[in-house]
Amino acid sequence: MSSHDVRDMLDLPGTAGPRPAKKQKIAAPRSTLKGLAREVQSLGGDNPIAIVPEISVFKKRRLANRKPAAKWEYRPFRNSVRSDGLILRHWRRKPEVPPAPAGEVGRENEADSQVEEPIDDTIFAKFNVQVQVPEYNDEQYNAYLQNEHWTKDETDYLMGLAQEYDLRWPVIWDRYEYVSPIPDVEEGDDAIIPAPKVRSLEDLKARYYKVAAAMMIVHKPQDRMISSEFALYETMLAFNPAQETARKKFAENAFQRTREEAKEEESLLLELKRILARSEKLNEERRELYARLEAPPSSGNIGIYSSSQGLQSLLQQLMTVDKSKKRRSLIGPDGASPASAGPNSLQQGFDRRDSSMRESISGPSGSAVKKGAGQGPTERRQLTEDEERTYGVSHPTDRITSGPFFRYEKLSKPISLKSTAQQAKITNTLNELGLPPRLIMPTVETGTSYEVLLESIVKMLQFRAVSEKLSGEIAVAKAHKAEREKRERAARGEPEPEPEAEKTNEEEAGGERDAAADADPEAQEDMDGEGDVKIEEEQEKSAALSTRGGSAHKRSASVLSTVSDKSTKRQKK
Amino acid sequence: MASQQPMTSSMQPTDVYGGDEVSAIVLDPGYSSIRAGFAGEDLPKSFVNSFYGVQGEKVVFGDDFIHNPLANLEIRNPMSKEGLVEDWDTSTRLWEYAITSRLTTFKQADPRTNGLNDDTKDILVEAVDENEKALEEHPLLLTETAWNSAKNREKSIEIAMESWGCPAFWLARNSVLAAFGSGKATALIVDVGASTASVMCVHDGLILKKSIQRSPLAGNWVSSQLRSLFSTVEPKVDLSPHYTIASKTQVDAGAPSQAVYRKFDTEPSESFRALEEERVLTEFKESVVQVWGGPGKLNATNQSGTTNADYIRSQPGRVFEFPDGANRMWGVERFSASEGLFDASAALPSLNSADPPIQKSQTIPDMLRTSINAVDVDLRPTLLQNIVVAGGSSLLNGFNDRLHNEVSAMFPGARVKIHAPGLTAERRFGSWIGGSILGSLGTFHQMWISKKEYDEFGASIVEKRCK
Repeated sequence: MSSHDVRDMLDLPGTAGPRPAKKQKIAAPRSTLKGLAREVQSLGGDNPIAIVPEISVFKKRRLANRKPAAKWEYRPFRNSVRSDGLILRHWRRKPEVPPAPAGEVGRENEADSQVEEPIDDTIFAKFNVQVQVPEYNDEQYNAYLQNEHWTKDETDYLMGLAQEYDLRWPVIWDRYEYVSPIPDVEEGDDAIIPAPKVRSLEDLKARYYKVAAAMMIVHKPQDRMISSEFALYETMLAFNPAQETARKKFAENAFQRTREEAKEEESLLLELKRILARSEKLNEERRELYARLEAPPSSGNIGIYSSSQGLQSLLQQLMTVDKSKKRRSLIGPDGASPASAGPNSLQQGFDRRDSSMRESISGPSGSAVKKGAGQGPTERRQLTEDEERTYGVSHPTDRITSGPFFRYEKLSKPISLKSTAQQAKITNTLNELGLPPRLIMPTVETGTSYEVLLESIVKMLQFRAVSEKLSGEIAVAKAHKAEREKRERAARGEPEPEPEAEKTNEEEAGGERDAAADADPEAQEDMDGEGDVKIEEEQEKSAALSTRGGSAHKRSASVLSTVSDKSTKRQKK
Repeated sequence: MASQQPMTSSMQPTDVYGGDEVSAIVLDPGYSSIRAGFAGEDLPKSFVNSFYGVQGEKVVFGDDFIHNPLANLEIRNPMSKEGLVEDWDTSTRLWEYAITSRLTTFKQADPRTNGLNDDTKDILVEAVDENEKALEEHPLLLTETAWNSAKNREKSIEIAMESWGCPAFWLARNSVLAAFGSGKATALIVDVGASTASVMCVHDGLILKKSIQRSPLAGNWVSSQLRSLFSTVEPKVDLSPHYTIASKTQVDAGAPSQAVYRKFDTEPSESFRALEEERVLTEFKESVVQVWGGPGKLNATNQSGTTNADYIRSQPGRVFEFPDGANRMWGVERFSASEGLFDASAALPSLNSADPPIQKSQTIPDMLRTSINAVDVDLRPTLLQNIVVAGGSSLLNGFNDRLHNEVSAMFPGARVKIHAPGLTAERRFGSWIGGSILGSLGTFHQMWISKKEYDEFGASIVEKRCK
């Protein structure tokens, strides 16, 4: 087969450039071959005869190393973790010493004396690590570690074993042969001493962890532990011997299965896997379907885009979306279509696809997008009652008008709606009670009780104002009466040394009293202004809470209504 | 860096595998042989028969001396059938022989001071003194069985410290070392030696005592099965060891032998004959005996409705020629001698009627089951994946296959993996190799019981330290 055929098969151009070069290549080595007759060489035809060089030497002789052979010495070393100072010897390369011109004998002596001097420590000393087993004394044992099933002696024994076998639990359990200290225990190797209790591995572990955890907390209070220590502490506390025993039992059963059972289980597991895989797919499809269903209806908005101008604006809008993908705030709070584009684009592809689809369809109808971003009702987890309590979720029956708000906002609202004077009063009262003006932890419970408290404070203030006002009126009436009596006395001809000012005062007071009787708030204001300062401050309140309480209710109701008006307005925005 | 460059002689081995060789000696005595060598080497340099000869006053050690058919040569073994030392005096001498004959005899001393060049008598006496303490420079790592008694353990440290003057000593369990030899710290060890088979679990280099199982169903028991077999097959096999044969002529298979027997003035002792017969049996075991690899027992019926034995009958047998020239083909019989290791009901009746029949619980699969059920369930899967087979008798052809089949059938839910070194020597010397690894580790040097500690605490320290 020639190269032409190959080229044909490979659909390559028939004649290629490299061909002549190839020929040259073949020719080149041919010419260099020497010591071979031309006839012999031509026997090879196109393929040049391979000539393998004959190597007579098996290995190249190692180049003579000019340096003398490395010296090794049988050097002693010690192990710093051994307490007995055992000195063993091993072969080590002798450090290079400048060649001593002295004779052999002198050298030997030198070496001998060197041995005495430094004895290295083995590098393996660092591998001698011991486990830390909790330690305790009698006092601590009695205080923290008492247990009806364990004596101190046996606990000590367990700790000893744990230390001895480096917490290898299977071994500890295997070697656990506690004999309660009876004075004359036979020390025979095969003597069978009946063990009083058979301890399971879980018993031993449970006891150990309990002791370890107790001692840990004794040595270091919980709040000063670092996280790893605390994790260890938690783990030890969480050890549940019953659960562990159950698990072992289960494992044992699984271990003793027959072949048929094993096979059956395997096939069941396979089936389960298949079902799970399928359900995953199904879920995926279902989610997609939901997403499609959730997409906002496009009917109302299409009209905008029917004209070329509308399309232009749409294009503009999309451009701005592209530009401002990073930040939601740029688009503004008016909930324009791409509101959810920015953050969502960073989420999984599924979401992104969704939102982009919605953008294109929904246009300026922002509220729909907002709603669509909430993944649909199936995604929402149903909370249990406990969880609801924990997270403070409630389902209020009364209408919440203003959308989401912070709880403390809601709490401070009744205060902030009052006049500054009122606010100061409420704050004063709270201070007297030793409460902060703003709740530190406004949970639902504290919030409601705070509201109740505020309400009663307000009531209390109102009552106080009323009582003050009443006492003021009584005082005026008394003064009036005294005046009248004076006048009568004067009429009777009794001498009365009265200043002018008082008279006018009395007259005015009398006028005021009339005004109060007419329930005119302005007149009342005047009266209060002339009365003492407190009353003046309380003007509104006293007006509201004067014996004709109807107006007070009216007033508060109106306040409420204005608030709700405001909030509704805000909401509308 | 170290891994990229080839090892050179000038490199510290420490950098490579954590080794730090202190020329410790590892001594692994067993019922049939004693293995000794330097820690860090791959095989024991010294391999000595545990049997020794007593010739009147003289005691001879080693294969070179005990196989001579001398009139008054008694053959004895210092070990009990359980692998424990019974005769401490002779054991000491035997072990010393194993060490000094190959490892430390030619102690090179400075020619100026070794006394060879001058002939004053004082120096010679000194030299003798030095020789007495054979191991003054070498820490000794001795192995023991898992069921060794505390008394024996204390005795062994006494010998090492006082008779041999070791600077440091350690007593290790041979099954743990077998696990180390396979590179495992947690393993289930199946050790089938000459006198004892044992199964036990090792966790992190510590034997789980509750899991220790042992039985006499090992190499020597297979030999006794062979004797039973030889007495029942037709024609009967007359077991005559090599030394009894002066010459033999070739005969056809199954034909009676035509050997010329040697005449002795006084017959060599019974014990000598037993030793020599054992050698023939060992050869037979090595070349003919086979274990049915499974699945199922030898007598079980397989899927095609025939028994496994029937299947074997259809396969070619093996020929074995005894020293007297008699030879025959061994078909299914070669499987029956070893079947008892796995199936108590298939064991051949013993020739010696005093021997109790073997129990089901003594077979290897049953021991394994008992052993593994005695450990924590969390460990079991790991152990089943790390079954280490050691001991010379486990080299019976087909042993591992059968073991694997039996264990897999026993625990179908678990993954069973059997680790058995392929090299014969590694299987036979598994525990020695483990000792060699352990003794040459740099981290092991903190564990040695030093002479100083021994002097301070006495022999009981071995119980405290070597657990």
